[in-house]
Amino acid sequence: MAADKSTILQGTLDLMVLKTLDAMGPLHGYGIARRIEQISQEALQINQGTIYASLVRLMQKGWISGAWGTSDNNRKAKFYSITKAGRKQLHAEAENWERISGVIGRVLRIAERG
Amino acid sequence: MLAWMQTLVSRMRVWLFPGRADQEFEQELETHLDLLTHENIHRGMTPEGARRAALMRLGGITQLKENNRELRGLPFLETFLQDVRYALRMLRKNPGFATVAVLTLALGIGANTAIFSVVYAVLLKPLPYPQPEQLVTVFEAKPQEGIMGNGWSYPNFAELRADNHIFSEMAGTQQHQLTLTGRGDPTVVNTASVTPELFSVLGLKPIAGRTFLPEEGKPGAQAVVILSESLWRGPFGADPIIIGSSITLDKRSCAVVGVMPAGFRFPAISEEEQIWIPLVQDPLFGSWIERRGGHWLRVFARLKPGVSIAQAQAELDAFSARLAKEFPTENAGWVIRMTPLQGMIVENVRPALLVLSGAVGLVLLIACANIANLLLARATSRAREIAVRAALGAGRTRIVRQLLSETLVLGLLGGLTGIALAYWGVHGLSSLLPSSVPRANEIGLDRFVLGFALLLSAIASCAFGLTPALFAANSNLQASLREGSRSGESTSRRRARNFLAAGEIALATVLLVASGLLLRSFAKLTSTSPGFDVQHVMKASVSLPRFQYSTPQQWIAFSNELLARIQAQPGMRDSAMAVPLPITDGFINLAFDIPGTPPPSAGTSRSANFVSVSPDYFRIMAIPLLAGRFFNAHDNLSAPRVTVISKAMARMYFPNQDPLGKRLTFGFPFESVGEKEIVGIVGDVRDVALGQNPGAMMYVPFDQAPFWGGNLVVKSTLGPSSVAGTMRQVVHQIDKDLPVTDIMMLPDGIESSVAQPRFRTFLLGVFAAMAMALAAIGIFGVISYSVSRRTNEIGIRVALGAQSADILKQVLAEGARLALVGLSLGLAASVVATRFLATLLFGVNPIDPLTFAAVAAILATVALVACYLPARRATRVDPLVALRYE
Repeated sequence: MAADKSTILQGTLDLMVLKTLDAMGPLHGYGIARRIEQISQEALQINQGTIYASLVRLMQKGWISGAWGTSDNNRKAKFYSITKAGRKQLHAEAENWERISGVIGRVLRIAERG
Repeated sequence: MLAWMQTLVSRMRVWLFPGRADQEFEQELETHLDLLTHENIHRGMTPEGARRAALMRLGGITQLKENNRELRGLPFLETFLQDVRYALRMLRKNPGFATVAVLTLALGIGANTAIFSVVYAVLLKPLPYPQPEQLVTVFEAKPQEGIMGNGWSYPNFAELRADNHIFSEMAGTQQHQLTLTGRGDPTVVNTASVTPELFSVLGLKPIAGRTFLPEEGKPGAQAVVILSESLWRGPFGADPIIIGSSITLDKRSCAVVGVMPAGFRFPAISEEEQIWIPLVQDPLFGSWIERRGGHWLRVFARLKPGVSIAQAQAELDAFSARLAKEFPTENAGWVIRMTPLQGMIVENVRPALLVLSGAVGLVLLIACANIANLLLARATSRAREIAVRAALGAGRTRIVRQLLSETLVLGLLGGLTGIALAYWGVHGLSSLLPSSVPRANEIGLDRFVLGFALLLSAIASCAFGLTPALFAANSNLQASLREGSRSGESTSRRRARNFLAAGEIALATVLLVASGLLLRSFAKLTSTSPGFDVQHVMKASVSLPRFQYSTPQQWIAFSNELLARIQAQPGMRDSAMAVPLPITDGFINLAFDIPGTPPPSAGTSRSANFVSVSPDYFRIMAIPLLAGRFFNAHDNLSAPRVTVISKAMARMYFPNQDPLGKRLTFGFPFESVGEKEIVGIVGDVRDVALGQNPGAMMYVPFDQAPFWGGNLVVKSTLGPSSVAGTMRQVVHQIDKDLPVTDIMMLPDGIESSVAQPRFRTFLLGVFAAMAMALAAIGIFGVISYSVSRRTNEIGIRVALGAQSADILKQVLAEGARLALVGLSLGLAASVVATRFLATLLFGVNPIDPLTFAAVAAILATVALVACYLPARRATRVDPLVALRYE
């Protein structure tokens, strides 16, 4: 249950969703959640419901779009795909993310040495 | 920015069509659950276990849906509307509370809005001219003698106008009345005699024709005139070919060159000018423009862009220093000052209006305290409801927001009702407003005033809503739930309510004291003996056209003939001529010399108010003779010049001497300056205003100092209409073209001179009464509420043997404590607050013990009466019923 409460930053989750859609093409909510868990080698057990808040936010910003389709188990599902604006945002955010994690990494290394 | 807009659009869409989005989301979640369950079954779980695990993995479905709805829609707006709906329902369920609260607030908002509409139009609204902030009035002053705000001589004005670096334009004006004949009945028109630049100083265009040309301001130019729109539309029937035609003013023909729009009122502002003529054409002032002595021309100017008041003042100082050096006789000691035009116009009414605004603000504060009290009491009885809400998960902010929405609804209802009241109030105010208030024609409920009213309602709602809301949100949830709806309330809340009630009494005290002071001051003002008695005295003004009656001999002949004919009428024996009359007319202050004595030392001057009267005037006005003699029929042009002075003048200028037989040098108009022998001393008269102490006065016989007409005063016990009719008839027997104007009973004229003090005294009285009523309701509310909360306790006391007198005493004591605290605070505050009233008071100390004591007595009585009703109810508590009630 501890994983449920692990505080994934809202922005981080949104970024992961964007990245997933960018890499995998159109996916439904379950698909996105599974994919994120797989990539993180099950280290990140998210409360899958939170995906939907992230999806609403991304939709409102126009970075993803949604369309109704049929899932593997033959049920109606909404498939999300990344938009052009979303891709642009992803690149900007990804760079930003790498820069920040780089900085944090360096700081931590310095701290270890000190 | 774009993303933000997109978000809003998407939210709006969902908000408008909520059902579909909900269904879609449900569908999505259903699919998700299904897929998760499948996955779990694959891992070997039982179908039930798989579903349960899936649900846990996904999180609470209901909560997800709720979150989703909030994210997608406009939750703030939604909850607000929900709160508003709820608030309206609550108000409908408590019509008594709603009515009291809305009406209380409406009264406060309405009174404030009405007063603000006056304050805005008179004090705040920019003058209706282009760049009004550049407009200034420039005046001469002699500070060491206390002469402020005097006029200019024309040559001084012309010199500065021709050579200065600070004003883009300057203009001079004076005003009086001229006779208009040839169009229906002869009438008198308010005339402004102006230099041609006035219109360009103000930057206003005529609606027809043109304004004056520069050359029309020079002597010898053709006589021209500009009409006001109202005169043009009235007597002239909106004559379309008025421009170029001519009208007859004081029996002289003038060509009409323009018509000014109706809104244009200058320089009088409060009264309506009807005609503008070039100064040089004026029958009186026109002859004065060569004279460097005399201070009569009112000067207005427009500052050059970028020139500050300080810069301009520096140049004015240099200019007045030069004048004093070049023309010491006329200009020594005089300096030139300036002030923004708007400030000058409202100077007289500003203190009273500010006091009234403050007073009405206090009324609103009391109203707010009252409503806050009602809300607090209600919040206590709603504690359980709020506790239930909190228990069901409502956050503190959510509860505060809901309660604030309720008060906001209350505030808006009160505000709207208040605006309706204000609409009615503004009409009432406008009709009550003394005619001397400038810019009164601009008062109304315009956009700005309405905005003010709404803003005020919003602020008021927050003021009375916030405290109860915070209290409610802070209340101890468990205690409230456990204790049920009618247990004791928290001490802090009771304290807050007591504080509010005492505060209301304190504020009401301040208002009552202020109103009491004004009332006493007004009573003093109107009961002060002015030094004369005008009972049964009627006056009428007759003005002789100066291009027809051009010599002093003609003026004397007219006045003697008029008096002879009037006195021949039955019952009108007591009649006289006088210029000017005390209080109803202006006053003429003249400098004089005492021949044979050294000139007054630097920094002092000799001046007295000048009156020209026919012999019977003193008797008719009951002004007593103290020494010497009154004037008689022999004091005419062929006799030695004589004067009668007032007691104050004798005391000031002839201390320890007998003034009789001494001589004075003065005269008005300037042509008649000469030596006059003092033949009599009469009693002092308040001639400037009822509230101003009598000063030095010198009277001269009308036949030795005649005017082109004047005031005919008749003391008669015949009815006013018959006296007025006779006066008109007799004047027209002599000359049918003479207008007879300003006919009135003199007591009415004196009465209207105190219109402004009466107006502010009345209004402040109304506000004080409102404040007292609200405060009484406030203390009544607190005490009744306290009694009803303590029914149980009182029941026990009665059961244990307390007498009804004990209960009565106990409840009254509670009220008396509040009243006492409020009163002491209020009286202390009044000591400070009444200082702002000082300029409005006449003959009353701002800390008048009598007023303070009376207010304390009145308020204490009112408070006790307000507490008596609930106290009586407390004594009737039946212990059995009270105990069972719990």
